[in-house]
Amino acid sequence: MRLRDKGVLISTAITIAVLSTFILIRAYGGAGSSVFDLGLVRTPRATGELIAAAASPMNVRLHDFADDAHATDAVRSGVIDAALIGGTTILSKRGIPSQLDAAFRVGLMLERIRDALVRNGVSPEDAGRLFAPPQLASRTLEAMDPNRLENETVAFVAVLLLYGQLFGYGIWVASGVIEEKSSRVVEMLLSAIRPRQLLAGKIFGIGLLGLLQLAVISLFGIALASATHAISIPAHSAGILALTLVWFVFGFAFYASLFAVSGALVSRMEELQNAIVPINLAILGSFLISITSFGSPDSTLSRLAALLPFSSALAMPVRIAIGAAAPWEIALSLVILAGSIALLVPLAGRLYAGAVLRIGARVKLRDAWRAAA
Amino acid sequence: MLELIDVSRRYGDVVALDGVSFAVREGTIVGFVGPNGAGKTTAMRIALGVLEPDRGEVRWRGTRVGPDERRRFGYLPEERGLYPKMRVLEQLVYLARLHGLEKERAVARAEEVVRLLGVVDRAGERVENLSLGNQQRVQLAAALVHEPEVLVLDEPFGGLDPIGVDVLITVLRDAAARGAPVVFSSHQLELVERLCDAVVLINHGRIVADGTIGELRDSRARHLLRVEVAAADDRWFGAIPGVSLVERSDGAVVLELDGVDEQRVLDMARASGDVRSFAPVRPTLAELFREVVQE
Repeated sequence: MRLRDKGVLISTAITIAVLSTFILIRAYGGAGSSVFDLGLVRTPRATGELIAAAASPMNVRLHDFADDAHATDAVRSGVIDAALIGGTTILSKRGIPSQLDAAFRVGLMLERIRDALVRNGVSPEDAGRLFAPPQLASRTLEAMDPNRLENETVAFVAVLLLYGQLFGYGIWVASGVIEEKSSRVVEMLLSAIRPRQLLAGKIFGIGLLGLLQLAVISLFGIALASATHAISIPAHSAGILALTLVWFVFGFAFYASLFAVSGALVSRMEELQNAIVPINLAILGSFLISITSFGSPDSTLSRLAALLPFSSALAMPVRIAIGAAAPWEIALSLVILAGSIALLVPLAGRLYAGAVLRIGARVKLRDAWRAAA
Repeated sequence: MLELIDVSRRYGDVVALDGVSFAVREGTIVGFVGPNGAGKTTAMRIALGVLEPDRGEVRWRGTRVGPDERRRFGYLPEERGLYPKMRVLEQLVYLARLHGLEKERAVARAEEVVRLLGVVDRAGERVENLSLGNQQRVQLAAALVHEPEVLVLDEPFGGLDPIGVDVLITVLRDAAARGAPVVFSSHQLELVERLCDAVVLINHGRIVADGTIGELRDSRARHLLRVEVAAADDRWFGAIPGVSLVERSDGAVVLELDGVDEQRVLDMARASGDVRSFAPVRPTLAELFREVVQE
């Protein structure tokens, strides 16, 4: 039904390429950055060890340097991240993470305490035992998902993809409407089918293509990530993927209707940019809220966003992925979204019918409504 | 029979159609004429279901026209409507299928019409790469590809070269011969006169004349004579009451007779000199048109 042109294949290829790059970088390049290399100059090794212990769970690697000059060079060239000179000065290129700052102070304090203890007759072994990092037992009220980090990463990528697809394919619907309008072929089409059928067909056809592309990209991403062990794909990634696709279908139906009406109201691509500003804002807003949901999945904003039809397509998958959504919330969100679509499509169909034959100046919504009566 | 019954339609404050009714009998070709803005395109769009009327209905063979019936109509819209980037043959097949043809039949018909309309060597090209005249032919093909039972064509002769015109005339005559009602609008009134069994004249959204051209002429009956008298004093006809001069042309005069016997005028003419020519004047459709429209 819809034209399958080269553009789709190219955009799929590009998206896959970008995704692959990210995955590969993560697999092969990222390993080194989570270690902090600390150089020690005229500082006892024991001090460095205390600091490393205080910095846990961050990984601190210790290197000894003979003098200031060597250490300075090492910091400048990035071989080490920072150097502790004489136990009192921290040299770094651009400052050290605040977490480490605390670790340094604690470490140095512990050194002083230990020296005092040893001077007062406590044996070094006893002192060493005192300064071993304590074990803290952690208990949570809600069951902690052991795969939480992986799920979040997958969800993040999913939301990003969803955002791109909703946007890109939504625009495609609108521009298709405009093309049919400006080439007047819509008149030929409407002599054979009803406007609602034309609208539905367009949304369905383009949506299907978008869904296909999304599925292909997602499967490819998962396959590549698994093969290179870039991130450990949790077993229920398939579940998250399926959910994402479901929300794409509904979210797309919702937004595509809006895009189609916008396309019908204007006559040229240039005018479309203006007409879709509110839709763009809604999608962008939903996207941003989804991202913040990662940090606070139970905030009122996140919960609301996952329920409202405008934003649920992007917000709900996030909450599901990090396990913050209750089954009733999922069901409710879907019901609301489906209900909105059921209301929106006939409305859009009517506006589309009224506006699509008016070539020329931008059609006012009210005129479009009346024209289709 | 395709009928429009008491169709009205307005756009905001503008009344496009006001109680328009006319019929197109099966197997006849009807010319739908009127000045620009008279409502021709609106009426056609309503017949095709592209537009909904505010009032009135469209009937085909006695029943109210719905989407299923409309699929059997062939439409040529006033402004060319085709996907510019789609290839000719593909597009015709697509449109045929949209109108309900099975895929194989659609392909066969697409190839047929492309040959019929003389664009077969362009069938693989994108529509936007064709000349306007060829695009018009493709547009016509699109109207015919699904073997329509009714033909509604809005300005079909626009942009066609003389050969294209002949092809179209043949197509229309064949369609009518096969029993389809054919209605088309045109500003080329000589063509309408030549081709049509009946004419419907519309002005300001209302039907002002409807019937065969002969009936139209009779209803506007002005008794006109063109008389050429050699070397005569122009005022030879002045003496007869009821005879007035309409115009002079090439040494002849066109006279309007009001209740006067032609033979008497002939006698008068002969008395004034040698009568070279003495014939009734039949107004052309264009003249009738201008007359009716200017009322």
